[in-house]
Amino acid sequence: MGADLFERRAVISGVGQSAIGRQVDRSGFQLTLDAVLAAIADAGLTVDDIDGLAMFPGGGKANLPGYANGNLYEVQDALRITTRWRQGVVEGMCMPFHGPAMAVATGQARHAVIWRTVKEGSAARNAGGRPAYGSTNPMAEGPLAWLLPVGALSPVCQVAPYAARYMHEYGATREQLAWIPVTQRAHAALNPDAVYRTPLSVDDYLSARMISTPICLYDCDVPADGATAIVVSAAETAPDLRAPVAIEAMAGVVDGRPSWEQWEDMGRVGYATAAALWERTDLRPADVDVAQLYDGFTIECVWWLEAMGFCKPGEAGAFVEGGSRIALGGELPLNTWGGQLSGGRLHAAFGHVAEAVRQVRGEAGARQVPGARVAAVTNVGGYEAGAALLTTWSG
Amino acid sequence: MAANVGIPPAVTDESAAYWAAAAEGRLLVEHCGACGAESFPPYGICRSCRGRATAPVEVTGRGVVYSLTVNHQRWMPGLEVPYALVLVEFPDHPGVRVFGRLRGCEPEEAAIGMAVDVGFEPGPGGCAIPSFVAVAASPDHGPGSGPAVPGAV
Repeated sequence: MGADLFERRAVISGVGQSAIGRQVDRSGFQLTLDAVLAAIADAGLTVDDIDGLAMFPGGGKANLPGYANGNLYEVQDALRITTRWRQGVVEGMCMPFHGPAMAVATGQARHAVIWRTVKEGSAARNAGGRPAYGSTNPMAEGPLAWLLPVGALSPVCQVAPYAARYMHEYGATREQLAWIPVTQRAHAALNPDAVYRTPLSVDDYLSARMISTPICLYDCDVPADGATAIVVSAAETAPDLRAPVAIEAMAGVVDGRPSWEQWEDMGRVGYATAAALWERTDLRPADVDVAQLYDGFTIECVWWLEAMGFCKPGEAGAFVEGGSRIALGGELPLNTWGGQLSGGRLHAAFGHVAEAVRQVRGEAGARQVPGARVAAVTNVGGYEAGAALLTTWSG
Repeated sequence: MAANVGIPPAVTDESAAYWAAAAEGRLLVEHCGACGAESFPPYGICRSCRGRATAPVEVTGRGVVYSLTVNHQRWMPGLEVPYALVLVEFPDHPGVRVFGRLRGCEPEEAAIGMAVDVGFEPGPGGCAIPSFVAVAASPDHGPGSGPAVPGAV
């Protein structure tokens, strides 16, 4: 199926990351260059091969405390390259490589880089706590006008009602959902680049302080400093590439009200995107060897486990309980790099994509899933959503 | 009472009527003159029939908590915690869901499905923010009583 899908005319050719940590004593611009250069080298390309540049988010008002992408034109100038395609994106992101894949699939560029750089760990430290979303502006504009004035001052408060509703409808418990951050922490122990690597127990989780019920400290991803870059190349350049990865399918559908507080059914998120993804491939959920599911919060993993069909609606609690199914060696190893909950909030699925690429290449080191050939990766959910399947390149 | 800490809204042409009524303790949503449906937040177009002849209409009567959270984190200096935030829907106003604070009970007593009355409290920047009132604690209304009075600011 799907030989004419645009994503089949693109490959992910490189991923690269800067140093990652709670605080990295290096500017966002330097982190960006570190990641971009590493990704280009990983692809087996040279800087002069790059003719497309993109970043998430673009400039302007999207830049929040710790959003440290820099300016696209300064990065182009610093690299001394010529670009035939450029993009800064928030809306319509789907997956980080969606725009670059469209660019190379339509001949607008041959090798496009997209990057995401965060200094949210440093920003949180400097602010004495995690900055409120949008708090750099004195007034709450657009959709934030219905959130920030009433006291829903953080994404935690905005997502927590989804978790409350989910647990109410399906009877899932904190004791069950704890196994997502607990298992991901065990994976992070095998990732030298993860932010938190010391063991986390279910008891640790249950005794952690509440941030906004039912979301506790360990349900929240870790503000971090670091940059991730992804190189996307036209499929016909595969012979020039060190280790290309195929994009089997990708989709991003927003079918409900695109608003944190107006989303109609808070117990179910991501279903339209997942359905659109599976329509583009003959692969089935059982074919997935490893899953990198977006985890800004634990509940987002729950959405995707169910929407993607890895378990039935309402059954994620039972699916993750005990951790054996989602651990390395289990039927669906989940967020093998630690996810954003332990690996660091690299944001917008950039960390998830980097890990998916490494897994299907067989380059994931101590946390490698033996023989992994199909990786699922998802982004956010709700008012922006993306899902993709990446597979080992077979020419 | 002291105003609740938060970030004030940027008032737009579309939201001006809402915030002005909020200051009077009244909850306005958008009513469609063509099909009668109600929409929130106000966009100047009916989300049901896409008619453009919309006008503000006041929501009265009991609401029901669709979901909630109790925030414990002091996101801004001076923010008093914990407090409950509730997403409220109205059986008599399909299509309307409003996010606000909850008072009239302990935050831990907030629950999905509980009945609330409309109310407002002083918010940041001189605005008034929705602050729903738990019905059990509302002295004017026993369970299942008639329409709520507008909440006091």
